[in-house]
Amino acid sequence: MKNKSLGIALGIVCFVLGLALTLQIRTMTIENSVVSQTFADDELKDSLLQWKEKYEKAVANLDASSKELDEIRQSATTNASNAEEKNARLKTNNLLLGTTNVQGNGIVIELADGKSTGMILDASNLLIHDGNLREIINELANAGAEAIEINGQRIVNSTYIMCAGNVILVNGEKISSPCTIKAIGQQERLLGAVGRAGGILQQLEMNDLSVNISKVSNIKINKFNGALTKKYMRDRGE
Amino acid sequence: MTIITVIIGTALGILLGFLIPTIPYSASKYLAIAIVAALDSVFGGIASHIKKNFDLKVFISGFFVNAIIAMLLTYLGQRLNVDIYLAAIIVFVGRMFNNLGIIRRYYLTKISQKFSKNTTKKH
Repeated sequence: MKNKSLGIALGIVCFVLGLALTLQIRTMTIENSVVSQTFADDELKDSLLQWKEKYEKAVANLDASSKELDEIRQSATTNASNAEEKNARLKTNNLLLGTTNVQGNGIVIELADGKSTGMILDASNLLIHDGNLREIINELANAGAEAIEINGQRIVNSTYIMCAGNVILVNGEKISSPCTIKAIGQQERLLGAVGRAGGILQQLEMNDLSVNISKVSNIKINKFNGALTKKYMRDRGE
Repeated sequence: MTIITVIIGTALGILLGFLIPTIPYSASKYLAIAIVAALDSVFGGIASHIKKNFDLKVFISGFFVNAIIAMLLTYLGQRLNVDIYLAAIIVFVGRMFNNLGIIRRYYLTKISQKFSKNTTKKH
């Protein structure tokens, strides 16, 4: 009697063990290299954190070195005889380059994707495209805008505006609807350039995009926060 | 009798394991730890059988309860982001080696006894 129950119990145990082992081995062979997958996940997480730390350190370094640069500039200009003039030139050059925070009178254009009414043949017409932004920037620059910014991205020498799927890249930063374009310059001229009959903004309005232009005094435009690089070009010394 | 049920049980288990669908990957971690716990119980059972203090109730309860507790600990570890299952594996595998050592020594002495008997008979 005791022997019988022992046999049955061992049978059940072996049944469960055999079942579990077979199931596990089958699962593992189907999900091939799962062990390395979880390891890969962990490694990715680790490297993400490391890169984050590196990025934060780099940003801190950038801040420190730009402060240092300012100090050096100041000491250099104070020592020289024609310091005042040099300093002023440096300031205007920086102003023109877009590496300083500026303010002045100008216009603000607010664009937003249109809402679908169900009668639209091509939904693409309802969206803000990179080309639209480029055209607006062109018109503004043509009308003498001195500083332009799209959603916090300053337009400088190296600026590019590219389509990147459902977002637009400006200076490599992603922006999307709604877009706010700020421009400093003579208000009437800027307004006339973008808002004229048949102009770019009217075309966008006809496509049912929401467009809003306003004259604003004392617009604040932030400096370009990327790096302006000079790697291949040299001064010709002429 | 015992041998027959063990073989039948194992065969049935493997057969059923091939027939039923596989489990999702996230659950396979728990099954793996349960297998380790179960294997530990089996080796423990054999070792205790050799030491002549085998108790069926202890064996069966150990088999199932250890497996379930190991799975629960693994789950808890995942909630807390601590790899508790590693501790479970270390304990189980360490005990497995202990029990295997007992089994090995038992059979070694048995075989060596047999050999010495044979040699004495010849002389």
